[in-house]
Amino acid sequence: MITPVDDFLAAAVRTATPLALAALGECITERGGVINIGLEGAIICGALAATIAAGTVGGPLGVTAGFTAGALAGVVVTLLFALFTVYLRADQIITGTAITLLSLGFTGLVYKTVYGTTGVGLTIPTIGDVPIPGLSQLPLVGRALFAQPVITYALYAIVPFLAWWFVRTHAGLALRATGESPDAALAAGIQPRTVQALAVLAGGAFAGVAGATLVLAQSGTFVEGMSAGKGFIAIAIVVLGRWTPLGVAGAALLFGGASALQYLFQSLGWREVPYQLFLALPYVLTLLVLARASARSQAPAALARRQLTVG
Amino acid sequence: MTASLALSLRGIHKQFGAVRALHDVTLAVRAGTVHALLGENGAGKSTLMRIAFGLVRADRGTVDVLGTTCAPPFTPSMAIAAGVGMVHQHFSLVSAMTVSENIALGSQGRYDPATVHAQVRRIGERTGLVLDPNARVSELPVSAQQRCEIVKALARDARILILDEPTAVLAPDEAQALLAWLRTFVAEHPSHAVVLITHKLRDALAMADDITVLRRGERVAAGVAHTFTEASLADAMLGPGERTHAVQQEVMPRVDAHTDSVGAHHNVITADAIDVRDPRNVLRVRGASFTVRAGEIVGVAAVEGSGQHELLRAVAGMLSIANGRLSAPSDIAFVPEDRHRDALLLDASLTENLALRDAGTRSGRMEWRTLATRTAALLTKRDVRARDAQVNARTLSGGNQQKFILARALDDAPPALIVENPTRGLDFRATADVHDALRDARDAGIAVLLYSSDLDEVLALADRVLALHNGVVHEVPRDRAIVGRAMLGAA
Repeated sequence: MITPVDDFLAAAVRTATPLALAALGECITERGGVINIGLEGAIICGALAATIAAGTVGGPLGVTAGFTAGALAGVVVTLLFALFTVYLRADQIITGTAITLLSLGFTGLVYKTVYGTTGVGLTIPTIGDVPIPGLSQLPLVGRALFAQPVITYALYAIVPFLAWWFVRTHAGLALRATGESPDAALAAGIQPRTVQALAVLAGGAFAGVAGATLVLAQSGTFVEGMSAGKGFIAIAIVVLGRWTPLGVAGAALLFGGASALQYLFQSLGWREVPYQLFLALPYVLTLLVLARASARSQAPAALARRQLTVG
Repeated sequence: MTASLALSLRGIHKQFGAVRALHDVTLAVRAGTVHALLGENGAGKSTLMRIAFGLVRADRGTVDVLGTTCAPPFTPSMAIAAGVGMVHQHFSLVSAMTVSENIALGSQGRYDPATVHAQVRRIGERTGLVLDPNARVSELPVSAQQRCEIVKALARDARILILDEPTAVLAPDEAQALLAWLRTFVAEHPSHAVVLITHKLRDALAMADDITVLRRGERVAAGVAHTFTEASLADAMLGPGERTHAVQQEVMPRVDAHTDSVGAHHNVITADAIDVRDPRNVLRVRGASFTVRAGEIVGVAAVEGSGQHELLRAVAGMLSIANGRLSAPSDIAFVPEDRHRDALLLDASLTENLALRDAGTRSGRMEWRTLATRTAALLTKRDVRARDAQVNARTLSGGNQQKFILARALDDAPPALIVENPTRGLDFRATADVHDALRDARDAGIAVLLYSSDLDEVLALADRVLALHNGVVHEVPRDRAIVGRAMLGAA
């Protein structure tokens, strides 16, 4: 028997999946000392690229093509961001905002060019839920955690791997050192620029996959502006998650839950509460998180610094 | 026979914009020796060694490490691989990371803390440089941070150790121990070498086998240490005619301080068992009691991070005290150590910078014309070299910036003045000018509280000395050895 609470938890995990993907990528980027406000742009570009690729290839292979294209699109968009911020040392906030606005406009243009103004007839393959036998029958969490698309399961491996990678590999140390003190990194024989560029591109790939997830695992179609602020929410999730992969995963779940709350209340019959209120909830949560000044204390010390090294 | 060269730099040229940093500089460091690289601030010592470590690229010239020429592009990772280790003046440690993470930084593959811990312990046993591998660097005292830098270099098999002003942050006993350790390092490994960047004649003569002197980017003297005297080194460092200042300042701290004979001077600042917490709520000063009287300079002697930063700001009214009683005038003048960050708007004119004083307490229209006249008068009176009152603060030399800051602080004759590292980064002449200005302020009846990380400066200026160790204040006699021990917490 499926209860409204089961539905709510499943929806929370489902909504949290793209948020967690984007936020984990941003977590890598920020640990390297770069804040990518252009995340939103990478997500929407990933979504459109996934739509086109999956629709063109079609069939079961289409899903794989979609995710690949999404990741690539995210990398391409953040390549532009990396060029300006990491190599030309432009202001990260302004560059990121420009990338987001550019991407939102550009995807709209491409979408209309490819599919016409009506946008009808979008039939693209999607990724279905894969219930894990046994585990998905567990009470309460079974359906939420183990009857999800494969991309959600991938997170179960990515999150602990990243947590391990940050503290137990020299590459992870180099990334954190670059975000904390690029001068110290340089003196230790690390190339801070290269590290930052790779961190930004990795974040772009994650954001692109997040965009692909929106299309291939959730809506099944592309809508202009469908990223709907998820990039900014992901940035808030990184802050709330204190720049650690496990924290980020937990914070993403919280935001997923806030988004899914509307389904719960609707199914409970609280129809007198306007649903718009619940739509606004994740954004209100974002504001509250970003306003918590104390959260800054955990941030990488050299985050968003324009001058990389003194020398 | 001539020993082989561990490090050899030949014909190095380096230009930063319009500034000629290095001109045809040659440095030959023999294996098995400690080599002192001596010069004033801005002479090019650090730049030369940053070139040897690959942090700065020379415009011309060659770098040979242990007999191998390092072809450009020469990077720090190549320098480390070639056997060069550098201990920077402002340490290159990631303060949010642990000791072992810092030591592992820059390698490849998996990071296994246990392996690095064992390595840190091994180096500790072999060299006496003992460290807790799990400690977070931000929680270490400065001397331990420096040990961490050295261990980091040794962990990468450094055979040539470059230390940039290593004794500047240490108490005298710690500095002695470090210099003795460096001697052992080369004595035990005849193929190894140490380059000591310093501006202290005393350290160079006492510790080094060879000395190279730089002045304004050029090598002006080089040779075996015992062929030099303090006088000849000072001549080389400063150029003809500048020597008196330097020798006076470094070799014989001026003993002209007032003693208790100065009568009838009342307490201007009285601290009674005050506790001070820093903005992160860490207790930095514990139960400090002291007085500063009108017409005296009270010097604070402390190792970096002992609580002096918070103590000075509490007295200046910039930090509130957690406990105890503090009586101090409200219009204390405060001269912070970081003049670029905390004392000046570099891209504003001198007049505007003057107007900043007490800006928060005024309202209404700005009297720019009056302020400009006042600024111009101040420049003349205090001998600040600037074209006029309208030039940006950035265009002034460091010495003139500091003289301007002091002039501004003393403009309306405050009852008390607090200064923090007032001569950091200044050359000999500017240092002497600042010292004169502080003595003049004292003689004019101002109560002066001074902190300097250079113990000799404290001893040269102060009438009374407060030693600060780990947040606890003791008044001590003005004796270098006693003050040095008190800074380390030894009675």
